[in-house]
Amino acid sequence: MWKVGSMLSNMESTPEHPTAAEASAALSDAEASRAALAHRLATPSWFFTSMGAAIAAQIATSAVGFATGALWALAAGLAAFAAVAAVQLARFRRLNGVWLGGLASRVVLGTGTAASASYAIALGAAIWAAYEAQWWLVALGSIVGGAAYALSGRRWMRAYRARPAVHGRAESAAWLAVVGVAAIAGLALLLIKA
Amino acid sequence: MAELDANLVAPTRLKLLTTLTAVSEAEFCTIRDTLHVSDSVLSKHLAALENVGYLQRRKGVDRGRRTTWISLTLGGRKALSAHVAVLRALISAVE
Repeated sequence: MWKVGSMLSNMESTPEHPTAAEASAALSDAEASRAALAHRLATPSWFFTSMGAAIAAQIATSAVGFATGALWALAAGLAAFAAVAAVQLARFRRLNGVWLGGLASRVVLGTGTAASASYAIALGAAIWAAYEAQWWLVALGSIVGGAAYALSGRRWMRAYRARPAVHGRAESAAWLAVVGVAAIAGLALLLIKA
Repeated sequence: MAELDANLVAPTRLKLLTTLTAVSEAEFCTIRDTLHVSDSVLSKHLAALENVGYLQRRKGVDRGRRTTWISLTLGGRKALSAHVAVLRALISAVE
């Protein structure tokens, strides 16, 4: 037993004061290990496509719901998006054996700048088109919004692989709370006006 | 000049904490395969780093299989940053 303990303790014996070359090698090795993990992470099949489709459906149902007063459509769109998001995040976690907060918040919940900006513009345009009964424009705005959401997700994934330590973490709880309150306030305002 | 963190001088520990900065949480097998170490070596380092509060472990279940999830603590993140800063200072001093 003592032999095993001795072997384990000796496996990583390193000087307390490494040379510059040793320090450089240790850092490079550690960064290579992090980069290897980041590059190995794969998204499940149809990940970005399904998120884009779910957002497109959510934009369309929200626009129709606000314009016609069919709040069940709005609720159905939100529920469908939540279901797709939950399933895809669970698949990602099972496939890779990691939880990536940055992916969950910036790609799936759309708190990234490109995702949130494109979503807001597409939703605004679709709601306006629905009030004007321009249904083809509602469909177009929804599709463009969904496609932009999916593309911004792919862009985030590339940025993450290049700098995993910077992009891997989720937004802070305080920022997510601010975004959540703003979203609820916007929804309430639209419902009051509807 | 600041000192190196004695808990992180082992290369595997530096690799372990650095790798964990890429994710919010990682499963034991994922880390083991990334670092190319045995279960026993990883367990030994995890226990040591958990004892000093640099990381935390929690148990989970996946399709009936027991799993262990590992994440970096705020203390671990700060310790890693300080340790890396000392290493970089050491390197830049001779360049």
